[in-house]
This record gives sequence, C-alpha cells and structure tokens, in this order.
Amino acid sequence: MSTPTATPVNELDPAHSKFHTFVQIAMVLSVITGVEIVLVYLPFARWLLLSTLIILSAVKFLFVIFVFMHLKWDKFFCTILFFIGLVLALGTVAALIALFGSEASAPLTTQIAPTLSSWFA
Amino acid sequence: MSSHAATIDHHHDVTTSTGIPNKKLFMWAFLASDCMFFGALISTHLIYRLHPPPGSPVVNKVFSIELTSFSTFILLMSSLLMALAVNAIQKGLVRSTRHHLLGTIFFGLIFLGCQVFEFTHFVEEKHITLSNSIFGSTFYTLTGTHGCHVAIGVLWLILMYIRSFKPADADAGRPWIARAFLHVLVFAVTIVAGMASVLGLIHTLQAHESLGEFAHTHVAVLLVTIAGLAGLSFLGTSKAAVEFSEANAIDVESMGLYWHFVDIVWIVIFTAVYLIEFL
Repeated sequence: MSTPTATPVNELDPAHSKFHTFVQIAMVLSVITGVEIVLVYLPFARWLLLSTLIILSAVKFLFVIFVFMHLKWDKFFCTILFFIGLVLALGTVAALIALFGSEASAPLTTQIAPTLSSWFA
Repeated sequence: MSSHAATIDHHHDVTTSTGIPNKKLFMWAFLASDCMFFGALISTHLIYRLHPPPGSPVVNKVFSIELTSFSTFILLMSSLLMALAVNAIQKGLVRSTRHHLLGTIFFGLIFLGCQVFEFTHFVEEKHITLSNSIFGSTFYTLTGTHGCHVAIGVLWLILMYIRSFKPADADAGRPWIARAFLHVLVFAVTIVAGMASVLGLIHTLQAHESLGEFAHTHVAVLLVTIAGLAGLSFLGTSKAAVEFSEANAIDVESMGLYWHFVDIVWIVIFTAVYLIEFL
C-alpha cells in the first residue's frame, strides 16, 4: 500500500513543479528576512524604514499563505474565510492603537491610583 | 497508493456542499479565529511599547537580533519542510513524508530551544520577569503563547509521524497501539535529554570550560540521548505495509496549515516586536 512507488515524474507534472516553487519561495523568504535585518541598521528616515519593514513582512506573509498554505490552488472561499479573521484582527490592532494614542486616553500620572481600602475609607 | 494519483483532487471535495474538504474548512476557520487572538496580544504589546510607563527597560539593549534572526530562519525552513511533506504525501510517498516530518520536528525543537534560551537569558541576566514590568508581561505573554503553539505543533507532528507506521493489517492493531505508546515515550525522553544536552553544551561554552568537563558533568543525559536516538532509529525502520497513504494527505495538509500559521504569526512578531525596537 504505502511502499514508495517509482512513479515517473516529469517536469510538466504540477506536483513536481510545486517542489521547485516551494524551494524557490523559501529562498526568497530567507533573502527578504536578511534584507529586513540589514535595513534596521541603515541610517534612513524612521518612517521610510518602518514602511519598508511592514511591506516586506506583508510580502512574506502573503507568500506563505498563498503558496505554502495552498490558498492559490484552493477554493476562493478559504481565502475569504481566512481574510475575515485577518481583517478583524488588523482592525482591532489599528483601533486599539488609535484609541490609546489619543490625547484623552493619556494616563493621569499625577493621580495616585485608588486602592480597594481607600474606597472604603 | 500512487495508482490513485490521478483520481484524488487534494484541493476540492465534491462530497461536501462547499466543495472544500471539511477538515480543511475547519482548520481555516480556526486559523481565522486565532488571527484575532494574536491580534489582541500583539496590539497590547505595541500599545505599551508606544506608551511605555516610567522605568521600562531599554529594549534594544535587551534583545539579541542574531538569536531572533536565527530563530526566524529556522522557522522559515521548517515551513519549507512542512510544505514538502504535504507535497510528498499527496504523491503517495510515505517514506519521503516521514523524512520531511522529522526535519520539521527537528527545526521546531531548535526554535523552542532558542526561545527557552532567550527567556532564561532575560530572566537571569536582564532581570525581566513576567510580573516586574509591563514590557515583561506583554512580551512573555505574546511570545510564550506563540511558543505554546509551536510546542503543540511539534506534538502534532510527532503523533502524525507515529501514525504513519500504523499497519495495514487490521489484526495487528493491538500490538501497534503498544508500539505507538512506546514510540511517543522514546520521542519524549530523547527530546528532553537532547535539549538538556544542548543547553548544557551552550552553558559550558559560555563558561569557557572544556568539552571533557561537559562530557563528565552531563554523562547521564548524553547516554540517554544516544540511547533514545538509537531507539527512534529502530522504531522508525518498519518495513511492513502501512495504512497511511495518499488518502491521508488531508490530515497532513491540515496539520501543515497549522504549522504555516505559526510561521506567519512569527513573521509579524519578528517585525512588530523585535525589528521595530532597533529603528
């Protein structure tokens, strides 16, 4: 049943070409990671470096989900399902950062935080 | 069986109303929910890094970019091996699948070892604990949760590897269960002893002690590691026909989806938690 069979594999076989695709994508991901590490030591503007890092991470993220996780070959519904969670997560991150960044949410540093015993004093 | 190669469509299932295998659909739904879970943890960490309370540590003097980069590379390569394992089982190549699964397990353990080393370094030398600073609380919670996901993934990989030895002969079921338990036990003992050996070696090198000194003080764990590896080698050389074939590709693929998800979460953590601190 499970003995490795010597199926002839030709270059046009999709499964065979997938092997090369996976290896090539892994190499690309490694190079992008190397570029990210070098970037943080370069004397460029912070906003430029931050934007580049975010874009490079997004590229890595998309390569993994579409190629390694087979979204590229699966039904589109899987992409929709995953992106519902992803968009909600990104929205949560953006909303929380915006909320805590607003002036009104700055902590009252001069006020001593009330303790349970002070409430009953 | 490779004779089924032309009949099994690994991306579509006509027997379900969605046309997607149920196991795959479940896994994508779970991963979507896990995105929100990690989204909450990452945003909590970022908020406290953007508005650090007084007394927060200087984080870029705490992190080791070399160690984290190495961990990232290891996790990326484990993702490659996982993708190759799925590719192999979809072609019915059981032996190749096992090799790739073992490689993924090995790389996953290296990642976990790096995390244990990093946490130990932070606690013992930088004095950052879970409770003595906001940074410690959010950092350990986020990366620790990710580490738990990796550990669960490694456990799942080990169980799948052992599952691949289930004999095709139904009468051999009971002895196989005993053998599978033994296999899990040998795996667990070898991993614990192996990690203790490697961490012992690292501490020896850091203390500038000789390898003879290391061998002398760690003789027990070294012997257990060697015996465990020999046991794993013996248990992994079954030539009998097994009930694990191309039809199980969906199981391996679902596990692969989980493993790749762990990788993409680390891609985000690597940038949002580590690299940003060096800008």
